[in-house]
Amino acid sequence: MHQWDFSPVFSNLDFLLLGLYHTFLVTALALSFGIPIGLALALCRLSRFRLVSGVATFIIEFFRTTPPLVQLFWFFFALPILIDVRMTPFVASVATFSIQSSAFFAEIFRGGINSIERGQWEAAKAIGMSYRQSLRRIILPQAVKRMIPAFLERSIELLKTTTLISTVSYADLMFQANELAQKTFRPLEVYTVVALMYFFLIFGFSYASIHVERFLAKSGESTMR
Amino acid sequence: MNYQWDFQTVWENFDVLWIGLIGTLKIFSVTVVLGLFGGLIVGMGRYARPIWIRGPASIFVEFFRNTPVLVQIIWFYFALPILVPINVSPFLAAVLGISLNTAAFSAEIYRGGIQSIEPGQWEAAKAIGMNYAQTMRRIILPQAIKRMLPPLTNRGIEAFKMSTLASVVAYVETLNQAKLIASLNFNPIETYSVVAFAFFVILYPLVQATYVLERMFGKSD
Repeated sequence: MHQWDFSPVFSNLDFLLLGLYHTFLVTALALSFGIPIGLALALCRLSRFRLVSGVATFIIEFFRTTPPLVQLFWFFFALPILIDVRMTPFVASVATFSIQSSAFFAEIFRGGINSIERGQWEAAKAIGMSYRQSLRRIILPQAVKRMIPAFLERSIELLKTTTLISTVSYADLMFQANELAQKTFRPLEVYTVVALMYFFLIFGFSYASIHVERFLAKSGESTMR
Repeated sequence: MNYQWDFQTVWENFDVLWIGLIGTLKIFSVTVVLGLFGGLIVGMGRYARPIWIRGPASIFVEFFRNTPVLVQIIWFYFALPILVPINVSPFLAAVLGISLNTAAFSAEIYRGGIQSIEPGQWEAAKAIGMNYAQTMRRIILPQAIKRMLPPLTNRGIEAFKMSTLASVVAYVETLNQAKLIASLNFNPIETYSVVAFAFFVILYPLVQATYVLERMFGKSD
């Protein structure tokens, strides 16, 4: 029977916490790029011009249906040859997950915008607002509120997907765990602790998002089914 | 931007990719069957009344829904063999990780589908003398399956995408073979582009099918 010994894990906790910080960093950056790009893609997809909406639809569907790990490898190994930049694991990770999550955010934005009644657009037009004005002042403020639950769910999904960046040697929590397991010869303890760290982190977020969802459902604003 | 694209080396190694694709399909079919079937059992467990069934089922679902799949696969590959004296192959580790994850997510779909059926249906079935199993089989499931089919198809697509994670523990599947080709022929652009498009071409029809299913069942409800 295996002799459990967690002391090597706890004496290196700062090493793991550094990884956790990097995980959060990539998640936060991917969110802050992914959301605006997602909005832009959604607006393009809703555009009247066939070419614009066609291209946006293709980008969205492509990044939603290909595995994120393949995208990450493409950005890390293939893109630098194509555009002649030095690609660090960090840049590749942020770029991949910004675009990957933007495709999912675009669909949430589109669903939210489509869920607003046509009358709202017509009323805005009737009082003389342009497309951009009605979008900014009338449609988006209402749509965003309905999108929040779907939005939180996607962000949690993103946090889980960032573990993939360990495969291109970016020092996130997963990567640090691999290192520590090799250094201490304690894979069982290290991976168990790291799995629990992820669990409590993500469970905490999910739990909070369920409460937000309930709160919004009470005021009758939700696109979640 | 003056890169000379050359797909020649990828086509020459097509048989290598083909082996990978078969590996992907193998792991996908095993995980989908185990995941969806396991999910049904766990979903029923979460719906059961005794706490000693409901409790563990809930913990299982919450744990596997709230941890990254990669962490699960790595745990099964590196940590599990220390705990139990079995030889965990890359295939087994990936199958365990992906199918338990799929089971946890689909359990929630089954539970949601069953709960979405109005209580009146249960009462009516009871009133004409059906027991629990009969009601479930004859009344509840036929209605619930219609609502569950689109999200379950989605889960299948997710499982297919997750199969690439098996490459991390060096299981021979498409992405792993692509890595091999790219490092032997120095053609990462072409190889990874081909692989990305291959996944897109395989999965896009499935995604469209879920939209059709949603519309079809949305109408009949």
